[in-house]
Amino acid sequence: MLPLRLDSILEGRRSQPHQLIEVLQDVQEQEGYISEEAMRAISNELGVPPMEVYRVASFYKAFSMQPRGKNVITMCMGTACHVRGAKLLLSQATGLLGVNSGETTDDGLFSIEQVNCLGTCALGPVVTENGACHHHMNPSKLRKLIKSIRRAGMEETSDE
Amino acid sequence: MLQYVTLEIDGADIVVPRGLSVLDAAIEHGICIPHLCHVRYLSDIGSCRLCIVEHVVNGRSKITTSCTLRVQEDMVIQSNTERIRKLRRNLAELLVAHAPNSRAIQDIAVRCGVKEVRYPFRNENCVLCGRCVRVCSECAGANAIGFVGRGKNRRVDSPFGSLSEFCVECHTCIELCPMSIQPCIGYMEPGEERLCGACESQLDLADELPGHCVWCELGENFQCGRY
Repeated sequence: MLPLRLDSILEGRRSQPHQLIEVLQDVQEQEGYISEEAMRAISNELGVPPMEVYRVASFYKAFSMQPRGKNVITMCMGTACHVRGAKLLLSQATGLLGVNSGETTDDGLFSIEQVNCLGTCALGPVVTENGACHHHMNPSKLRKLIKSIRRAGMEETSDE
Repeated sequence: MLQYVTLEIDGADIVVPRGLSVLDAAIEHGICIPHLCHVRYLSDIGSCRLCIVEHVVNGRSKITTSCTLRVQEDMVIQSNTERIRKLRRNLAELLVAHAPNSRAIQDIAVRCGVKEVRYPFRNENCVLCGRCVRVCSECAGANAIGFVGRGKNRRVDSPFGSLSEFCVECHTCIELCPMSIQPCIGYMEPGEERLCGACESQLDLADELPGHCVWCELGENFQCGRY
């Protein structure tokens, strides 16, 4: 039995192998990651071998196969950002959150990711937080950003 | 009905059916182009790059892999020029530095004229030639293994990291793997890798006749035209 959400994604796309990437993108967007069950279901419904689904999902950086945190902090490691100290920012972020890049904190609030370029080199170093771009980052701005996200997360949980 | 095309490889005019790759045409006519990832009955992906040739178009030559190059009418191919030999030697050197524990790769390196390895040995157990992956999807039809990841993290793996339920354990992938034959001097531990010296007769020949066929034993397994 398919989960309802996956069912709605697959609606109208069944038995169409060329829709594979679109389906994976939608699953990634809805769930935040692509689980093994989701991949097996997609392989069944689209008529693509499981190997092919796994290969495509593992190839693209946009797909994550581990659950990601609520807030994904993406650090740009491109040339321009690197020159302006992206490495410093990354080490600060990993130090503050206590996880390496590509990992998620235990409370499920943060994930750190590295990308090679976000295409806004003039604004570097760039850090995005859930897709929102923060330009000309420096360690103190990053500290404030992480603090504010953490506070917002705490307020949310205390409201509940 | 088969259509035929005439092309020139190393100065020889040969006639082969249309649709063949340049590598297949050369092998059929006894012209030895070293190759590793090519298997006659599988599709070619040009991953080992050893079968590079010069394709001369309007007096300018382009270097490309001959296994992925289809024959065309009046094509001019040079497979054994100084430039190609140099490039091929370097490619073979990189391959043998990456995975020295394979007789196939050691032999190919000798045949391509590698005399010393200038790169650090990595002692990996896969060169990503893709033979196993292609035979699994094209002959066995199982798709039980494939490439995972990309860049330097690319590797051959089963879906989701565990043996696929479609694998019928035919072991054709192992049969075709160039890493399944140990070098004649036996397994080399990390730190003691070297270019295999046991095939000294071949090394001498390779020295005397650079770029010529030294009747390597490998030819038999790799469908060399001489066998």
